[in-house]
Amino acid sequence: MKDILLIARAHIATAVRERVTLFWFLIFPVFLLTILTLIFGQIGEEGEISFDITLLNRDRSPSAETPFSDMIESVFRELATAQDEATQPLFVLHTPEEDADLEGFLESELTELRRGRRAAVLVIPEGFNDTVMGSLIEDSAEIATSSEVGEIDSLRIFMSDTSVSSEYATQIIQQILTEIDRRILIQSGRFSPDRAVSSETHWIGRQDGETPYVDYVLPGIILMGFFMNGLFGVPGTILFSRDRKVLRRYWVTPLSVLRYLAGFGLGHLTLCGLQFSLLFLLGVYAFGATINFAALDTVLLLVLAAVTFMAFGFLIASLAKTANAGMATANILNIPMMFLSGMFFPTSGLPAFIMVIVYANPVSYLLEGLRRSVGVQNSTIMPSIWIVIVPLLWILLSSLVTSRRLKWDVER
Amino acid sequence: MTAFRALLISELKIFSRDRMAMFFTLLFPLVFILIFGFLMRGIGDVDQARLGILFTSETDGQSLMQTIEEAGSMDLSFFESQEELEDAVAARTIDFGMHWDGSGLQFFYDANRVQENFAFEQVARGIATEFDFRRQAVTRVLPIEEVHVGTIQSIGWYNLVLPGILAFSVLSAGLFAVSGHLTQMKQRNILDRLIVTPMPPMALLSAIVVIRLGVVFISTLITLGVGIAVFGLQFEVDWFRFVIFVICATLGTMGMGTIIALLVRRPSSASSLANVLAMVMMFFAGIYFPIEFMPAFLRSVGKGLPLTHMANAMRYVTGVIEMSELEFWAITFSLLGFAIVLFPVLARYVVRPLRR
Repeated sequence: MKDILLIARAHIATAVRERVTLFWFLIFPVFLLTILTLIFGQIGEEGEISFDITLLNRDRSPSAETPFSDMIESVFRELATAQDEATQPLFVLHTPEEDADLEGFLESELTELRRGRRAAVLVIPEGFNDTVMGSLIEDSAEIATSSEVGEIDSLRIFMSDTSVSSEYATQIIQQILTEIDRRILIQSGRFSPDRAVSSETHWIGRQDGETPYVDYVLPGIILMGFFMNGLFGVPGTILFSRDRKVLRRYWVTPLSVLRYLAGFGLGHLTLCGLQFSLLFLLGVYAFGATINFAALDTVLLLVLAAVTFMAFGFLIASLAKTANAGMATANILNIPMMFLSGMFFPTSGLPAFIMVIVYANPVSYLLEGLRRSVGVQNSTIMPSIWIVIVPLLWILLSSLVTSRRLKWDVER
Repeated sequence: MTAFRALLISELKIFSRDRMAMFFTLLFPLVFILIFGFLMRGIGDVDQARLGILFTSETDGQSLMQTIEEAGSMDLSFFESQEELEDAVAARTIDFGMHWDGSGLQFFYDANRVQENFAFEQVARGIATEFDFRRQAVTRVLPIEEVHVGTIQSIGWYNLVLPGILAFSVLSAGLFAVSGHLTQMKQRNILDRLIVTPMPPMALLSAIVVIRLGVVFISTLITLGVGIAVFGLQFEVDWFRFVIFVICATLGTMGMGTIIALLVRRPSSASSLANVLAMVMMFFAGIYFPIEFMPAFLRSVGKGLPLTHMANAMRYVTGVIEMSELEFWAITFSLLGFAIVLFPVLARYVVRPLRR
């Protein structure tokens, strides 16, 4: 037993001492969890995201009886003020100076928009107040139809198709304007809030709202850590140890291959445990993850995942002639296997010939199983039984190939 | 010049025999764009969303249907009970569901579709608002016109991603080209033998650079062509600026790669370090994920990375975004500057035998 523990310790020590290994096994998953949560975890959340927009009010008329333009401007100015020091305002508002040339200002702001430095430019045209008043008085049903918007003094939202933030900012501006519209209609007595249609949101699969992004992404990142550990760590350690004749030194001792494998496997599982602990603690304490990994089926799936990826690593080690070839093979397989598993993007709409890879990919099954076991996935693209069977088949195949092909010593 | 010519021929032979290098430089970017192209082509396209509808009251049903039809060309399916509707949402046979009971609208979403629900909710909100107005026979009083600006209108997210992938390929190929090859030559003692000849160190570096530059250029052309052919992407390539930029960017990143060759001894370490640097830069530079949604401090980090500017310049030369001429040439010449400054300085330190 002591020899097994010593091999396990040596495997862990090697992984921890190798800075590049440490990066891919521990730092990269931590980095990815952090960056994905920071990017996607805050989409749609007020106070966490801010858009640079321009407001050009060309119908500012303090003496006007119907200052709709000023009403819109004040709403946007309010939204450009931070509620407290910890949060960002929804908008960073760019407006012209008092004595600015408005045409020149608009031109330069549109250039900024095209160059991605503004998310949207909102222009309130001259005569806008009269247009709105006219439509209220005349009750003209057609005045705001899209076919005629060019002919009347419309609010213009300039947006850029090449910027995701521009698309989001435009949607938000549309919603704000709709709400202002509603308020005007209520005040004018044309819209009755009592008769308004109630709108409710129901979340299927969770009682208390949408699954937090960190809960959704954490199982995938943990699995990615295990996957990279198996894909790069196993062939890397085995092949480099073989090529540098480290393994040869083991074989002159009474240590058998089976006992070496037991020690190696123990070390590998310990590394996976270390990865899991670090990511779980980061997810819970830094990003507020609420999922529970303590259920028996979840633990068994995590162990199955670690063993499957370790076996897969041995499969690569068996097929590669040299350590460099092994690492290159791992590099080639890494991106397709990781991305064609649903880890970061949904795979449901892919063409049939790519779905073949999704269905053959053990990561797809393990990921789906893990997400379902922690309650962040309702549906399934594959029957439950396959979640266990396919990874077991990969373990079997890898073991068979390894037992036949893996060379434990350099050729003399 | 004779030394350079001889080295150029030998480098060409080495590269053409190195299947792994060929794969990673020529085919790997293709694998990338094919995988991400299929994965990302539907992102943000809610027009094709599948909406499940349940009517338990006929009141204003026609008006609601008219509102839904005007909201976009969604795929509609109808259900007999709320249970069926909820099951369909859970099974993802529909993207989201809607129930109208005569007085209120209820929308049903899969709580775990965290990446897509935001877009579905926007559609639902639009339907509810328009239906509300229609039901009380009022029209909006604020006339709104959406004006799209930019050189290529109504492009998809992948139009932005592909030039980013091209920039990333140039970066990773450049970082590894010199560092990987030189460390490999050192490890195999090839450099030891060359060093004892009258070969100038710059001739060797130049030969490596010229061959890899040609390969990277061909690779970007193939990748761009496949993107256009397979995914029907539209680009308005400014070929003059494209050629200049790819050359300068490749040279600049090779210059950065020379620093790696200076720092590490083994080819595997050079590859790992180049990989780590490229991967970290990829996330902060907004190649796959929009940089605009990052917190302010991470956006600042992104702005300091060469890949961010390379990706933007590549988007500019492919006609996807606009950029000032000054900014484009500043990026291009900065990259060239890296090469001009780093190559001669580092050549004497890098092109020398392995320390023993």
